[in-house]
Amino acid sequence: MSAAPVLRARDLSRRYDSFPALSSLDLEVGGGELVALVGPNGAGKTTFLTIAAGLLEPSSGAVEIAGFAAGSIEARRALSYLPDTPVFYEDLSVAEHLGYVAALHGVGEPGPRIDALLNGLGLTGWDEALPGELSHGMRQKASIALALVRPFSILLADEPFDGLDPPSRAALLELLARARRDAGATVILSTHRPDVLAAASRCVGIRDGQLAYDGVADEAAISEFFSD
Amino acid sequence: MASGEGGVEAATIAALREMRRARRRRYVEEIDLMEALYRIYLGAVFGAIALGVLGGLIHEAPATDQAVEWLRHEGTAVLGAVVAVAVMIGLRTGARGGPLAIEAAEVQYVLMAPLRRSIALRATALRQLRIAALAGLVLGAAAGNFVFRRLPGSPVEWIACLALFCALVPVALLAAASVASGRRWGASAAGLLGLLLVAWSGADIIFASATSPATMLGALATLPLQGGGGVAMASLGTVLVIGLAAIGLLGLGGIRLEAARRRAALAAELRFSAAMQDLRTVVLLRRQLASERPRRHPWLRLASERSTRYPVWRRGWQSFLRWPSARLLRVALIGIVSGVALAAAWRAAPLALFIPGALLFVAALDLIEPLAQESDHPTRRRLLPSSPDWLVRGGLAAPAAATTLVAAIATVSAAIAGGGSTALVVGLLLWVPVGLGLACCAAFSATADPFAYLLTPQIGYAVTAAPPVLAALLVGAPLFAARETQRLGGSPEGAALGAGIFVAVSAAVGAWFLGRRFEQRDAVVG
Repeated sequence: MSAAPVLRARDLSRRYDSFPALSSLDLEVGGGELVALVGPNGAGKTTFLTIAAGLLEPSSGAVEIAGFAAGSIEARRALSYLPDTPVFYEDLSVAEHLGYVAALHGVGEPGPRIDALLNGLGLTGWDEALPGELSHGMRQKASIALALVRPFSILLADEPFDGLDPPSRAALLELLARARRDAGATVILSTHRPDVLAAASRCVGIRDGQLAYDGVADEAAISEFFSD
Repeated sequence: MASGEGGVEAATIAALREMRRARRRRYVEEIDLMEALYRIYLGAVFGAIALGVLGGLIHEAPATDQAVEWLRHEGTAVLGAVVAVAVMIGLRTGARGGPLAIEAAEVQYVLMAPLRRSIALRATALRQLRIAALAGLVLGAAAGNFVFRRLPGSPVEWIACLALFCALVPVALLAAASVASGRRWGASAAGLLGLLLVAWSGADIIFASATSPATMLGALATLPLQGGGGVAMASLGTVLVIGLAAIGLLGLGGIRLEAARRRAALAAELRFSAAMQDLRTVVLLRRQLASERPRRHPWLRLASERSTRYPVWRRGWQSFLRWPSARLLRVALIGIVSGVALAAAWRAAPLALFIPGALLFVAALDLIEPLAQESDHPTRRRLLPSSPDWLVRGGLAAPAAATTLVAAIATVSAAIAGGGSTALVVGLLLWVPVGLGLACCAAFSATADPFAYLLTPQIGYAVTAAPPVLAALLVGAPLFAARETQRLGGSPEGAALGAGIFVAVSAAVGAWFLGRRFEQRDAVVG
């Protein structure tokens, strides 16, 4: 882990009415890590990711992204967020979406980047399609492309492999590895998939809103975490 | 570094503007001209009919000196109280994340971009203010056109003042909402502030003063009756609203994304439901937008909770007993306002007796929810070991009883508001049949299939419009008959009794038809 963490969550809690979704969670993630966030359904993974993305406010505690408060302009510049449910403008094509998001993040010449992503994710030929014309898996791929088309130093991805076929999963893992290798980006993703866990440099387990495991993505340890 | 970041933001703003322009262009290009013209034609026809009816309701005889004096001295404060209530609604809306309802994608991509959110949201907020102000302007000008014929003052003065006043009221509401949303005020703080303003305006009515900012705006609406002091006060009120709007616009960036995402999802469904004329879903989503959720613990638990007797009847009351206080208050308030309006209409404008029925229909739509939910689940209904009409007619009982209670509130309110013993007796004869009739109308509306008339939208419009119109007639016609009988020297109680029996029989026939509708629908599905 590098000296300055890219993500730092301190004493993070979030309640929905009387239900505690997160309780006093502390976590630091350094540059270039690929962290797999695991936990049973309802453990608080999505809540943690949306708070870190600045979309949800904690009941107490705070998250810093690259040293800035989550949700601040600086944090938004550093962070890319891939939601669990793809979100689109229904009247924009895939290519228009990508061009727009790239422009919003100041990417000067997004053409080559867009082509590379479309190609890498198997979306070639679908660039002029409207969201309504895409299958569930294609929508997920387009959503992934939207998260990757802009520069970032940390990517938060909520179940990014859902709905993807094995070749697409492999392609996404390759894209994430390239982002880490080439730009030193950090990736935090929630998943239940063993193949993704194997690729992760670190595994963080959340249960009942609390940090229950933090270590290597070792299959035996993860099995034990889920069996507890 | 700072200038670099400024450059990036400028590029981001340019991209945002360009995309919005392009999307607007595409939207305009895709508009079906004939469809748009048809809608304008329909709007013009119904608008003309509404204006004609309104013209008939408002006699052009000049107002009495007494009425003019009342307007001059108390009208300002009363209108100010209306403004205060609008601001209170705005503050509550803002505390729940309103007034903007942004697309989910706009939240995900624009509000998450490295760009000041106040800049990103400004165009949307300004458009919302513009539309609201324009609608108010037109409505106010139309009202001014009727008012100048009855009150002293020139037509230009009345039309201009009322147009400006009606334009500024929704602006005040939206501005208050923007301030509360941008400053992230909690529901309690916003509600308390709104209540304080309403109380302040209420004090102005009681003490015949003009100290509340809302009363100052109220002065604008009665300006043609005021002297020079009125101009200063109205100007101050106008400046305050514009100032509030400016503060709201400047603070837009403080919006809670959590609320924005929730509103985005609900607003999209709301637009779709409105487009489908699905009144019940509109009410349902409106409730969700207002964060109205059932209480975790009911107001009281039914003693027979574990009993197996009368399950449908109990299910209805279990639903009502989990209503949040805001919904209870709203329905009770509808009953009170309807009663007061009926008393006023009885005295001054008998044709206006038909208006409160539409208002009571809104309350009935809330009350019919348990039955409407049965309509949402045809499979569950068809798996029951009994015919659907049993479930539907049984499901009508609890809402009908509750609607009857609202009709009783209206009756008592009408009696207190000056209707006296006549209102009480007529109301007592009518509240049960009217309650039953309203429940039937709401049931027909809430259980209508919004997709049944996709190929014949004109029939769809008629099916959507029929229940509220019938509700207006069910409430208005018996009262109108009683009022006319009294005017002609007859017994209003006798007329009310006859009309009540007719309404009760109509409601029973309606309930039977409702059961048939479900039987036929399930038979088609099966």
